[in-house]
Amino acid sequence: MMHQSHQSHQSHQLQPVPPPTLPAAVPAVAVSDLTVAYREQPVLWDIDLHVPTGVLLAIVGPNGAGKTTLMKAVLGLVKPAAGQVAIFGAPYHQQRQRVGYVPQRGSVDWDFPTSVLDVVMMGRYGALGWFRRPGRNERDLALAALQQVKLEAYAARQISQLSGGQQQRVFLARALVQDADIYLMDEPFQGVDAVTERAIIELLRELRARGKTVVVVHHDLQTVPEYFDWVTLLNVRRIAHGPVAEVFTEANLSRTYGGRTTAMPSR
Amino acid sequence: MTSQQEVQLIAAVIAAACALPGVFLVLRRMAMMSDAISHTVLFGIVVGFLLTRDLGSPLLFLGAVLTGVLTVSLVELLNQTRLVKQDAAIGLVFPVLFSIAVILISRFAGNVHLDTDAVLLGELAYAPFDRVEWQGIDLGPRALLVGSGVLLFNLGFIGLFYKELKLATFDPALAATFGFLPVLLHYSLMVIVSVTAVAAFDAVGSILVIALMIAPPATAYLLTERLGTMLWLSMLIGVASALAGYWLAWVLDVSIAGSMATMTGVLFVGAFLFAPERGLVATAHRRTRQRWAFAQQLLVVHLHNHAGSSDEAEECSPAALHGHLRWSPDFAAQVLQRAERNGIVRRDAERLWLTEQGRKLAQGTGVGG
Repeated sequence: MMHQSHQSHQSHQLQPVPPPTLPAAVPAVAVSDLTVAYREQPVLWDIDLHVPTGVLLAIVGPNGAGKTTLMKAVLGLVKPAAGQVAIFGAPYHQQRQRVGYVPQRGSVDWDFPTSVLDVVMMGRYGALGWFRRPGRNERDLALAALQQVKLEAYAARQISQLSGGQQQRVFLARALVQDADIYLMDEPFQGVDAVTERAIIELLRELRARGKTVVVVHHDLQTVPEYFDWVTLLNVRRIAHGPVAEVFTEANLSRTYGGRTTAMPSR
Repeated sequence: MTSQQEVQLIAAVIAAACALPGVFLVLRRMAMMSDAISHTVLFGIVVGFLLTRDLGSPLLFLGAVLTGVLTVSLVELLNQTRLVKQDAAIGLVFPVLFSIAVILISRFAGNVHLDTDAVLLGELAYAPFDRVEWQGIDLGPRALLVGSGVLLFNLGFIGLFYKELKLATFDPALAATFGFLPVLLHYSLMVIVSVTAVAAFDAVGSILVIALMIAPPATAYLLTERLGTMLWLSMLIGVASALAGYWLAWVLDVSIAGSMATMTGVLFVGAFLFAPERGLVATAHRRTRQRWAFAQQLLVVHLHNHAGSSDEAEECSPAALHGHLRWSPDFAAQVLQRAERNGIVRRDAERLWLTEQGRKLAQGTGVGG
């Protein structure tokens, strides 16, 4: 019943890993009957998902499957036509501090006049609330997060001087300083080199080891079994959702991608 | 204070007031919105006047600010239909509102002080003659009081919401997930732009309003990498443009607003060419330096790869170098000269040798074997 993660070679797992909670407990994210439409054109159709606490979940599906929209609906950034989302049993707007969001790297202007440290400190703005300015405490937290993603040497740099992989790590550091319980990441592996990809996945495993729940929009089917322990197969409708070992099957993938998968990893 | 000094002070205060919201317009890629708003506010002023028949009524001001917000809403509404792109939407909305205002003036208000020339170019030279008095005490020119009020208002707004404005401009989605209401901030900013435009254009005209809102921030953007610095630098550049423009107008005996707007352009071109990091000159200089550095790297890798090989004598002779690397003889000689000066290559009679430093460089590039 309980799912064991595939990878056991990570040193972080020396710490006791909280066992994935049984569905009976309050799920980290509960999506029920969620439909999102753009002008009567459904982008997500009647989605039901329960994400248990402490899992690394990949959301996969073809382009236009609604992966980003699902994430934005969970964050209250798009208005659903029907259905609802609960974060640890409560509406999102009551749980803002418990959710960290890593948007797609391309969603912001990297020529914006600001420094790496400053962008990471933005992760604390939510906890600060209106009017209060970031101070020494926020600065220290941001520096620690930069250390975690090995970018402390870049703290004072203008953000336009970073490579794509470094930009992605800055975004991760910005989410880390939020010290959230759930992390939603939109394609963190998009266009990063192999070194950064390793660094990111180690970070995700570390988060899981600390009992955090991590939901990642992911593109590379090959790495799903290696990186994740839960997976959601999405194509406007929910095709399958559950532990990778159970639902990441050839049959489900072909239903998700319309029989066009060539990327099914050999397992 | 002489009226000359007053004119300069008014211009400086208005320039500083315009630069503040301008920074956010430039960073949000909404620079053209200043063009639209600074024209359409006339519509609100005219409608306000037709309702009250009083040029001093605060309703004119309110009407102008509302029209600014209406302009932004109409542009966004058109844009959201996806039938019209944002730049085209601006081009559609503002001429319509502006021309309706012009028609209304000529039809119903032809005999009052609301002429279209003044709207475009302002009457800065006459601004000191429109004074505010209170219980017989002269408080100063109206434009100066209004301008200072707007400057303080803008400073207060941006000071209070600095963190929120920064986040909502850089990453509106994150701002929304934190509950910072980026849409509300967006429209507040548009209100600020409208208030500033109305207050400023009475004195300096809409052309100068646009110039003062966009050019100083665009100039500061080239000179700094921090938002805070960009804000005060923009104000400084705006004030400098205004003062320099005033004296240019005095020397050449031309339109004050015109030469101030010209000076904003001159300062921008100056930064565009000579900004220490991003200016054209610095970029060209950097490119040249990189080109020479790269050529020297190529040279050491070439020498390193052929060291100890059977064709070493031939490949590493200074005379044959340009032929092997497909460089012009001139260029090869210059690269060699620089490499020798930098102590990475040594030359004796018919051979080129890598120095220890040169060998390290060749290995460091990762190309050399």
